[in-house]
Amino acid sequence: MIPDPSMSAWEPEIRPRQTLWQRLDHGARHLLPSLFIALIIIFFSAPLNIPGAAELLPALVIATVFFWSFWRPTGMSGLAVFLLGLFMDLVGFTPLGVSAFILLLVHGVAFYARFGLMRLNFLLVWGVFALVAAGACLLQWGLACLFRLAMLDIAPALFESLLTIGVYPPLSALFSWVLHRLDEKEDP
Amino acid sequence: MIPVSIQMRQALGKLVLPLLVLLSIGIIIAGQADRKLADKARMTVADGLAPLWGLMTAAQHRVQAVSTNLREAGRMASENARLQTENDNLRRWYDVAVSLTRENDTLKTALHWIPEPTPAFVTGRVVADSGGIYARAVLLVAGTDSGVRVGNVALAANGLAGRVTETGARSSRILLITDIASRLPVTLDASHATAIMGGDNTPLPRLMYYAQDTRPIEGERVVTSDQAGAFPAGLPIGRCITCIPASPLWCRLPSLTT
Repeated sequence: MIPDPSMSAWEPEIRPRQTLWQRLDHGARHLLPSLFIALIIIFFSAPLNIPGAAELLPALVIATVFFWSFWRPTGMSGLAVFLLGLFMDLVGFTPLGVSAFILLLVHGVAFYARFGLMRLNFLLVWGVFALVAAGACLLQWGLACLFRLAMLDIAPALFESLLTIGVYPPLSALFSWVLHRLDEKEDP
Repeated sequence: MIPVSIQMRQALGKLVLPLLVLLSIGIIIAGQADRKLADKARMTVADGLAPLWGLMTAAQHRVQAVSTNLREAGRMASENARLQTENDNLRRWYDVAVSLTRENDTLKTALHWIPEPTPAFVTGRVVADSGGIYARAVLLVAGTDSGVRVGNVALAANGLAGRVTETGARSSRILLITDIASRLPVTLDASHATAIMGGDNTPLPRLMYYAQDTRPIEGERVVTSDQAGAFPAGLPIGRCITCIPASPLWCRLPSLTT
């Protein structure tokens, strides 16, 4: 094999210093999922009269956080998850900090389970996600009951968990495509 | 970046998540303890996002307006097609009408037909219901200044209403055909029978003195007859009704509601 005459091929450990544009590009890639979630939160909290917006927003956010924490944790750091959860609480009407707490738990589970689950096929990952989503929705319901000091109707929580589980495959397909595109750009 | 060893950095990285979880729990408790602060923070964020939401709502309204306009345009296109076919149809009818008018004219000239004098109209508003010496009479704001003369025929929207009995400069009194003093010669349209319609102060004037061999038909049109020269022939009055068989006939009047 003929060695590549470029400098990086000689010494692969030492990379040329990134230019400002490259650094911006890199940062944007890492911020992409967080920006997506932030936009979704803003979009769904706008008074647009979308049916089921109240349940769809947490479903989308939980699915997105799980996917990125599982497949690409650099794009979804713990701090970002925390800030997004707090933002969601501030914009919505959930008690302050609850969404942040739940999203952090989802993130933690996905982050620590990734090494064990990475090789499983999609259906099994989906099954794990279903458990996580159901747990998150029930936890949210439980916390809401705790704050109100009354048993609330559990039907919305179940609906939300089913919606979350259902929304995962299409989102997963979309994000997989985005990941492929990003990877292609990174190493052409 | 602070220079820390790789081990240290890994240890810190492992600590971040538990710390954040603890922080969020702390925020939950703080938010429950001090709701005013939480609401204030919420309102600050909402204030910051309000223009953005306004923008989105405006965009949504714009999209809705555009879609409504498009739908409207589609509806208008179908409406336009319908109107065009209708217009073609009407154009044919117009041709038919023109040819019929021509034919009518030629026939009239062939017969040396003398046209009837076109009646002149004065339109006035009924302002009073006071009868004077009559029980059923109205006052009209149109008098001799407008050319109204005693004995003129008064028509309502649906047919004959009465006759002018008195005139002033700007008003005139009309004796309605329902008044008990009103007698007028009529023709029954279908059976060609002549009769006299006499009012009896009720909304249903009676039909009298019709020929015994031509029995009026239920529901046929009653029009004026020019027997005494009082009325021009053919003014619509109403319809013939019999409440009980072999009893006096009445005439239902669509024009008068008094």
